[in-house]
Amino acid sequence: MKLAQYIVQRVFAYFLVLFVGITITFFLPRLMPGDPINNYISQVQARAGQSLSAEAVQQLRDSLAELYGLQGNLFTQYINYLKRVVRLDFGPSFTYYPEPVSEILLESMPWTAGLLLTTTLLSWLIGNGIGLIAGYYNKRRAAAVLEFIGIVLYPIPYYILALVVILILAYWLGLFPLSPTFLPGPISWNKVVSILYNSFLPALTLVLAGFGWNVLSMKALAIATKEDSYVQFARLKGTTDRTRMVNYVFRNAMLPQITALVLSLGFIFNGALQTEIIFSYPGLGMTMRAAAGAGDYNLLYGSIVITILSVATAALVLDLIYPLFDPRIRLGR
Amino acid sequence: MIRLENIVATYTTHRGQVHAVEGVNLEIPDSTIVGIAGESGCGKSTLMKVLYGDIGFPLSLSSGKVDYGFVNDRGEPVTTENIRDEWFRRISYIPQSSMSSLNPVMRIRDQFVDFPATAGRKKEVLAQVRSFVQKLGLPPQAIDAYPHQLSGGMRQRIMVAMATFFQPEVILADEPTTALDVVVQKSILLLLLDLQKEMGNTILLVSHDMGVHYQITRKMLIMYAAKVVEYADTDDLFQQPLHPYTLMLIHSLPTIGDDRARHGLPGSPPSLWEMPQGCRFAPRCPLATARCRREEPPLKEHVRGRFSACHYANSVPELKKTLEAGPKLSEINVMELMAEAERDI
Repeated sequence: MKLAQYIVQRVFAYFLVLFVGITITFFLPRLMPGDPINNYISQVQARAGQSLSAEAVQQLRDSLAELYGLQGNLFTQYINYLKRVVRLDFGPSFTYYPEPVSEILLESMPWTAGLLLTTTLLSWLIGNGIGLIAGYYNKRRAAAVLEFIGIVLYPIPYYILALVVILILAYWLGLFPLSPTFLPGPISWNKVVSILYNSFLPALTLVLAGFGWNVLSMKALAIATKEDSYVQFARLKGTTDRTRMVNYVFRNAMLPQITALVLSLGFIFNGALQTEIIFSYPGLGMTMRAAAGAGDYNLLYGSIVITILSVATAALVLDLIYPLFDPRIRLGR
Repeated sequence: MIRLENIVATYTTHRGQVHAVEGVNLEIPDSTIVGIAGESGCGKSTLMKVLYGDIGFPLSLSSGKVDYGFVNDRGEPVTTENIRDEWFRRISYIPQSSMSSLNPVMRIRDQFVDFPATAGRKKEVLAQVRSFVQKLGLPPQAIDAYPHQLSGGMRQRIMVAMATFFQPEVILADEPTTALDVVVQKSILLLLLDLQKEMGNTILLVSHDMGVHYQITRKMLIMYAAKVVEYADTDDLFQQPLHPYTLMLIHSLPTIGDDRARHGLPGSPPSLWEMPQGCRFAPRCPLATARCRREEPPLKEHVRGRFSACHYANSVPELKKTLEAGPKLSEINVMELMAEAERDI
């Protein structure tokens, strides 16, 4: 199989997945019992008593149908919906009316992306580094200590870890603020410093919570890989431990780990709800939670589509960068 | 000359210690191809490990050492103690599974120069490797490929190239052609033979295939239950074995034009945990007597250059004659045999 053919196949699969995902998001809520317009109108009526005329109700019904994109039959609705998704237009948010959903998402996205991108990459690097050493030297005492770090960190529930970190570093030692205060205004040196300083605690907890898994899985992979015949043969050639650990064990064992990394990068746009709540961090997770709580369908739709988009894109990126690491895919069988 | 002095190689397991090679004394002349044969578990792979100096938990050398008969860069004699420093310079190894012995994510040329033997002169070495693999019947670009791009035969040629490139004194080959089909197998063995003639290395070849041994090796070493039972020139050994085990090993081979019924070797080798007293082959040996079950026969030079560990080495030729007088396949009534087998069940 040629590389070009491979790429075309992946890109095609990417658009197919997007299409199917977005279609499901369209149909799923319509299978639910109840009608959002009736819900809303009965809420309004309950608040206003019986004073609304039938005409006014009908007017309200029409304008709501337009707002929600519910005019016409199912097919027209579907086509309209697809058109809007392509333009990333999810209509106005109900809770922050009349601010468009896309603008709200755009505002919170950089916060989430910045925090989670950095911490996911960091915990991957640290976790796999520790896991590799622990796995490669698995018969030594020091390696058991390294693995112990992973075993201890991995099962701690995130909120407990976060609270302990806040308690020690923010409350007792007072090194970091209890809740962040970001400087307003345009990007400046001071603003960057304040963002870094205020984001340190949430970032630290995310790294700590994330790398335990990487340690454990990389260790298991490294132990299995180092028994493979090509590593044993490299040993009999007289290669150094360093060469074998990096070029032989790591370069082979990292392949499944890269898959895990890129997939977790895809879920970044779901935000880290717990982190954002505990640290009052203005990210996508908070936005989505608010949307779900307030019945803000448009905002919820927008967040879900963004999630589908980012997970699928991450998978595509993975497929496209994988050949760089594995020549068997790059050059075909 | 490689000298093995009373080698005892021991595995430590959770059940305790077990000797996989016990008391092997040998002298292997330079520039010779020596074949090692024996059933699975007889200790041939362990003997290869000891020869290569790859000794580490759970394998240990309880006694003895190997003297390789050459000196290292500092002028010290090379023995088991310091052979590791000579890996892939003076002694090299051809593994059984060429398919999986190359790192799938590294180009072959990078795997040619990532060990100490090439330190500091990688470019120069690679240029030489390119012309060297051509001599081995590979295109020079083959070393730019990744392992999966080459066929099994090409990969095994790469392994042979790696093992021979530095012109080592000793090459160990552990079933180097088992994973290949017969045609490729033959070309690889002939290649190895050619290179050996040119460079004059000593090759130790482990194989289950007695045909390979017959064609390739100059001397043969037959092992049984952790011991050497016979050691002789290949031609002599095939013509007239001096140990009943060797005889039966050879006699189980079919020959074209000879339709006599073949006899397998009855029974199985003893467990290393429960060695019988006396000769270890006695329970399966047609010549065994009370003396064999009491007294272990040492490896003795019966005829000049022909070593056998059997009290009755001189009776083996007669046993051979009896076996050869066995019934022809065409004379055996198959229906009768089957009926007999059914009765036994």
